[in-house]
Amino acid sequence: MKLSGIKREQRKFRWLLLSPGLLIIIIFTSVPALTTLSYAFFEWKGFVRGSWAGFENFDRLFSFPFRDQFLMAFRHNILVFIAIMVLQTSLGLLIAYALFNLTRGQRFFRTVTFLPVIFSLVIVGYMWQILLDPYYGPINLIVGELGQPTWAKAWLGDTATALPTLVFINLWRWVGFPAIIFLAGLNAISTDYIEAARIDGASEGKIFRKILFPLLAPSMTIITVLTFIGAFEWFDLPYILGGSNGSPAGATDTLALMFYRLSFGSVDSGANEVGVGSALGVIIFTVVGVGAAVGSKLLRRREVEM
Amino acid sequence: MKISQRRARGLVAAAIAASVIAGPVIASMPAQAATELTFWSWRTEDKAFYEEQMAIFKEKTGITVKFTPYVNTEYNAILSTALTAGSGPDVMQIRPYGGMSTLSDAGNFLALTTKDVPALAKMSPGTLAGVQGYTVKKQFGLPYATSVIGVMYNPELLKQAGVKALPSTYESFIRVLAQIKAKGIIPLGNATGNAPSLEQMWAAVGPTFYGGTPFFNDVVKGTRTFTDKNFVASLQAVKDLVPYMPPTPAGVDYNTARGLFANEKAAFYIGGNYEISYFRSLNPSLNVAWMPAPAAAPGAKRYVTTWADGGFGINAKTKAKPEAIKLLNFLASKDFNQAAADQLGWIPTAPYIKITDPAISKMQKSLASQGTPFLTVVGFRFGTPTSSVIMQPGFQKLTAGTTTAAELAKDVQAAIASWYAPQKGKS
Repeated sequence: MKLSGIKREQRKFRWLLLSPGLLIIIIFTSVPALTTLSYAFFEWKGFVRGSWAGFENFDRLFSFPFRDQFLMAFRHNILVFIAIMVLQTSLGLLIAYALFNLTRGQRFFRTVTFLPVIFSLVIVGYMWQILLDPYYGPINLIVGELGQPTWAKAWLGDTATALPTLVFINLWRWVGFPAIIFLAGLNAISTDYIEAARIDGASEGKIFRKILFPLLAPSMTIITVLTFIGAFEWFDLPYILGGSNGSPAGATDTLALMFYRLSFGSVDSGANEVGVGSALGVIIFTVVGVGAAVGSKLLRRREVEM
Repeated sequence: MKISQRRARGLVAAAIAASVIAGPVIASMPAQAATELTFWSWRTEDKAFYEEQMAIFKEKTGITVKFTPYVNTEYNAILSTALTAGSGPDVMQIRPYGGMSTLSDAGNFLALTTKDVPALAKMSPGTLAGVQGYTVKKQFGLPYATSVIGVMYNPELLKQAGVKALPSTYESFIRVLAQIKAKGIIPLGNATGNAPSLEQMWAAVGPTFYGGTPFFNDVVKGTRTFTDKNFVASLQAVKDLVPYMPPTPAGVDYNTARGLFANEKAAFYIGGNYEISYFRSLNPSLNVAWMPAPAAAPGAKRYVTTWADGGFGINAKTKAKPEAIKLLNFLASKDFNQAAADQLGWIPTAPYIKITDPAISKMQKSLASQGTPFLTVVGFRFGTPTSSVIMQPGFQKLTAGTTTAAELAKDVQAAIASWYAPQKGKS
């Protein structure tokens, strides 16, 4: 009797501790997500809700002129996800492995690797904008000095190079994050496995491939899921460097930028499209939600018990 | 312990007694008039001017005004969000024509009368129409300036390049640009990195190709469409200027492009009178001259595109309506408008302002015989998708060579036909 009283008290205390966080999530995440879902089924005049519209906003999103913008933005999100997974995650893994094997100065290099992650993204964006300026930017000046003036480009202004440049800047800023996650994963692996393999005559490459990499699966799951969510909600860096229209000519447009543009309008459009924007919001939410859930379930299956 | 409890009780009792005595006294005091107004704008480059003017306003009325400009391209989003959330500034700059029609139709702006703002009575119906609602035909703003787009040039650089006569046709314009380029001077400061300025560039050079006001009236009536070969030619005219822009024009943003002209690196700049204040802020000694865009062919009419730049409006939910009206009357005053004309290069809506800048004076004088409304801003911003939504990124694709003028015109027609009744079903 007395025990259950304590349990009740504990439960109350647990809810008390959870309530501030839960309230914030409900007010700022769940309620807006659910209301956006409902907004997608209404007609809108500016920010004033009109009558029931059924699936008309979804129809409009998949018709001219939004269809092409949507497909292009969606393609960019997919490309960014692939590029980040291939380049940023592999580089992060390599850095983590290098740091793991360092016997001296690990703390220093760990800090250096992680430092750009804590920089303000706005500052990072503007810093790269200056570095990449086609006229005065040091990058093009260096390229010119190296005797290769044809390599000097309007990196952020050319439709062919704008998105890869953004991916590169993203890599520069974020590579420390997967590196630290992988390093934590590597440090959690018992050294017994590695020593046993070494005694058996396994090479360093084989140890990495056969022991360390499989045992890093939980870290890989976290990184993949977070990268997927980040890539499909990519907004901040493209917005800083390409504006809400994904300049040049939509070459850096993403679904999140399109959502912002449609929902809140821009100087060019004159009027906003809250209904179509909400329909897009529902699609982004579904893609991210379903993708992250399915991805984490599939990836967890291949995780190895240590 | 006991003492401290007693002391605490004493303090509480004293506080209650004080509030009982002081409460009615405070309540009976007259409510203090609001002495601070908030004023939002998209003109970040004019911040110093407005702050100076607001200091003059404070001297006259005792009312403090906090002037906050936001980045031009994000102003609509910021203002819409604030007004819809029930907040927002007391007074604000309003986009013209359909630019903020959803906000005015939703009742966010206070309808103005000539009793509140007597200066409205002195303005022409055409000027007033720039800041009226779309479905609710009320005056939601005080129109403050007329914008004019044309071709600005640096006479010294033209002289250096050996240009003896100003080009009057497009063919001669291209020839002059090539001549300047051959001398190692950037012929045209404009670039393609900023999409909205490409639409403005088209607004300057395009009307002579599509036929100016008669074409405007025809597409508004629906008797002609945007796939008209003359309209296609007007789009192509922008593409034809790309070889004379700064190197790698796609990577040059709006301010860098303007900086090239302001710092006397580029001989021409196609833009509006509102660019002049920015040029002067970078280079006060710059000699800016102006001409209307050259004719499409010998004998074709030259046009000067114009539109109401915007208005000053009052938030319908302001708690300081009398003060906000005072501010609007100050913004309509001769002194303020003269200062704006002198320092910002405005062409004020008020007819009694003397324009001292020779380039701007020339722009104003050209309006009577050559003025034509900005086709996409005046005519087709009341529904979505607007023609500008298609044209701005479309121009970036056209100048980069990833689309053609005919394809872009087809897309503009499809966008307008999707919501504008007289064009429905037409291609």
